[in-house]
Amino acid sequence: MNPLCKPWEHALSRRQLLGAAAGVGASLGLSNLLHPVAAEEMKKKAKQVLFIWIDGGMSQLESWDPKPNTLFGGPFRAIPTSVPGIHVSELVPRSAKIMQHLAIVRSLCTQDNSHSAGVARIQRGDPKNRGVTYPYFGSAVAKLLGAGSSGLPPYVWVKPGSSGFIHQDAGFLGPKFGAVAFGDGKPPDNLVLHESVTPADDDERNALRAVANARYAKNRRKQVGEATSYVYDVARTLMKRQDLFDTTKFDPKDVERYGTHEFGRHMLQARKMLEAGVTFVKVNSYGWDTHGDNFNGHLSLMPKFDQAFAAMVQDLADRSMLDNVLVIAMSEFGRTPRINGHIGRDHWPEAWSLVMTGCGIKRGLAVGETNAEGTWVTSKEFDIGHMFHTWFNALSIDPKKTEYDNGGQPLPIAHDDCHAVKELLVG
Amino acid sequence: MPRMASLTLALCATMVSSALGQSSLHDQIDALIEAKAAGPLAAQTSDAEFLRRVYLDFAGRIPSLEESPAFLADADAAKREKLVDKLLASDEYAKRMSQVFHVMLLERLGDHKEWQKYLQDSFAANKPWDVMAREMLNPSAENEATRGAALFFSKRLENYGQNPVDVPGMVRDVGRLFMGIDVQCCQCHDHLFVDDYKQEYYQGLFAFVGQATLRQESFPAIAEKPLAKKVEFMSVFVKEPKKVGPYLPGLKEIEIPVYANGEEWEIKPDPKTKNPGKLKFSTLKILSEQLPSPDNQLFKKNIANRLWWLLLGRGLVQPLDMQHAGNAPSHPELLELLANEFAAHKFDMKWLLREIALSKTYQRGSQAADDAAAEAPRESYRVALEKPLSSEQLLASMIAATGESARAKPDELQERFAKAFANPPREPEVEFSPTVKAALFYLNDSVVLGWLKPAPGNLAARLFETKENGKLAEEMYLSILTRLPGEDEKKDVVDYLAKHAANRETAIRNLLWSLLASNEFCMNH
Repeated sequence: MNPLCKPWEHALSRRQLLGAAAGVGASLGLSNLLHPVAAEEMKKKAKQVLFIWIDGGMSQLESWDPKPNTLFGGPFRAIPTSVPGIHVSELVPRSAKIMQHLAIVRSLCTQDNSHSAGVARIQRGDPKNRGVTYPYFGSAVAKLLGAGSSGLPPYVWVKPGSSGFIHQDAGFLGPKFGAVAFGDGKPPDNLVLHESVTPADDDERNALRAVANARYAKNRRKQVGEATSYVYDVARTLMKRQDLFDTTKFDPKDVERYGTHEFGRHMLQARKMLEAGVTFVKVNSYGWDTHGDNFNGHLSLMPKFDQAFAAMVQDLADRSMLDNVLVIAMSEFGRTPRINGHIGRDHWPEAWSLVMTGCGIKRGLAVGETNAEGTWVTSKEFDIGHMFHTWFNALSIDPKKTEYDNGGQPLPIAHDDCHAVKELLVG
Repeated sequence: MPRMASLTLALCATMVSSALGQSSLHDQIDALIEAKAAGPLAAQTSDAEFLRRVYLDFAGRIPSLEESPAFLADADAAKREKLVDKLLASDEYAKRMSQVFHVMLLERLGDHKEWQKYLQDSFAANKPWDVMAREMLNPSAENEATRGAALFFSKRLENYGQNPVDVPGMVRDVGRLFMGIDVQCCQCHDHLFVDDYKQEYYQGLFAFVGQATLRQESFPAIAEKPLAKKVEFMSVFVKEPKKVGPYLPGLKEIEIPVYANGEEWEIKPDPKTKNPGKLKFSTLKILSEQLPSPDNQLFKKNIANRLWWLLLGRGLVQPLDMQHAGNAPSHPELLELLANEFAAHKFDMKWLLREIALSKTYQRGSQAADDAAAEAPRESYRVALEKPLSSEQLLASMIAATGESARAKPDELQERFAKAFANPPREPEVEFSPTVKAALFYLNDSVVLGWLKPAPGNLAARLFETKENGKLAEEMYLSILTRLPGEDEKKDVVDYLAKHAANRETAIRNLLWSLLASNEFCMNH
């Protein structure tokens, strides 16, 4: 991508394309706009990310690194997977069946054991402190990969709660790289073009607005103009993509497969977003902070995660998208092996796990080891910085050579002292 | 006693300075800003820009089509000063300041009509800020005129959605909003990056306000339990038990008197009559005496910084709630001067706002000589900073611009606008961040679009009746942007209307919408 391109310029060129198609009198659907071969070619190249954020801390012992029949192992068994030699918790049976697609990391050792700091620290890749606020992974990828040709926002966040434009995620990159959040998967308000305005008038009035803004911007700070143009571009593109939000139109079979629970709905919606070409989709699942009653908690939470996660990976594989889409599922830390007085597990950044697959990632393996009781990492420890290096490499971005330019201040995109985990990367 | 002494000293200092013929505060502001500018200053605002800016800042809306020409035509050299004085004396000033302080102090947590009445009455009477702070920090249910002030605490003592009462959040807000310090991290340990912020900051403030409880009344009201002993705490990092009584940064810890069980009350609480009782040792009372004092550097600098931010778009200390040695003000002497002079003038808000508004710094344009100069560091104040219109300012300004004052019901529409333009609860509205939500509101909201249809007396109808398209362009620009169109803008309008002569009503609507949705309208520049 030309480094001078801005995401909204791509959005504009998309609209120009639409305009041109209409101009020659063709009435084409969106999928027909590009020459089929060109479309196929673009699909191949465009790299995307699905980032599943399990907020509060998934227990590694009840998921990817079970230690049955040990002091802290808890009541659940380990089960074999489709890859001989790799066992996972019995709470993720569907993921076990598609283990040939997955890569587990069992040797995470990170720095923070509080949610308030940990969520941001992990999602920012915990870089060296250089007095700036680093972007979250989603904003970083939005910046480094761009919005692609979809005209949709590069960073979409499907989450419980409210919708909005979460500029805080972007840190020093600036508000345009923030997340557009779909609270409870619901479309933002006012998403339908008002009945009194025709599509032609909508184009006209926005063209007039753009002229007024260009005049106003002369000799003024660029921030205001850029940020507002961007939100209008995104708003108008979204207005044209009702199909992404109307859950009533989702295939009932898909709904059944992903699960009729909130996380299942949100994951299915995330798949639609990925199919529509959104560069980075984050899906949040809340409620994993099982300080009390950890085992019943995971007994209720894990099957929902397992169902939607396995369905998603299978669908991406079936659609030949797994080679382009990097998929990551993780929390801000794991949970203590030690079981506390409330039959809970507390925060444990010392030895925990995550799972990933897709674009650039080797599949069907588990990297790293913990000791018999799961208390410490016995192989080489990996911090979140190592994961950021690995992910950037998987996306064909060289984190040792690529830097952000923060108004003249060069900033590495991942922790200087970390490196990619070779065992996880293809080729 | 020391408080009296320093007040006297401060007053003496002012008298001395005026006796020596020293310059006014607004001249001193300019001298201090210009001394550090280190680059070209943007030109002063035109009359039209100043008019719009000062109306938005003090009346909370753009000027009407009747108000603008009178000011622009006035040849009096002192007309800007006269306009500031007129607006400060208007009823709209009290309304505007009520909106500002409501959003600042409640952070969209909730509202109450007695709180609104309290703010409105206070600003209408130009009540000194220290008195207001006292009334909020130790609200009296007996005084009907000021009891609404209790909402600052009472709203924070309610459950927040499904969450329990957030007492640490309440302690934090007292620190942030009245002293400009964010002691959130100090609940559990000394701040990791801010050397000044010790765990005692949080725990000492907690000792003051932790006894407050919510009273179930039809009006905002709180009660207070006795504080019998110091707050015990331990850092999560250094496992060493510590204790602190009521304590404010920079001041002395308060001794807690010992009473026999049941003897803590001057008037005992009576559940039958719902009388909350009266304590002999009320920490809220002491807080309300100690905190809002001219001796309290953090208190007076916080409010001076916030009023400066309100008019200039950036605090001298930024973020507004991070006053500490490691985050020095951009202009330390200026903040000191503003804080001391404000205290010496008995925290007279109109006085301070007037002085800032009369400065050349406030009256500087937001347009620089070229694009490069426009990117001057924000903290240099070389080019005026654009301030986004709050949801309240947008609503009032849209009504004024579209000529819908007679029909529109702002009180009913405020929530609709807040939903589209305001930040979520607990998120301070300090920095500019446009949202897709707001863009979608502009694009498709039926109320906004309704105002663009001709109706008796509104702007769309007047323009529809204006046959001469050049005149139409002038009235449209003056109504919405408080200025006449440039030649190129006028030509664009004339050409557009000529091209769409068959659909004149729709064409006018598109033009009106484009200006209302423009950055020029949505920013106070």
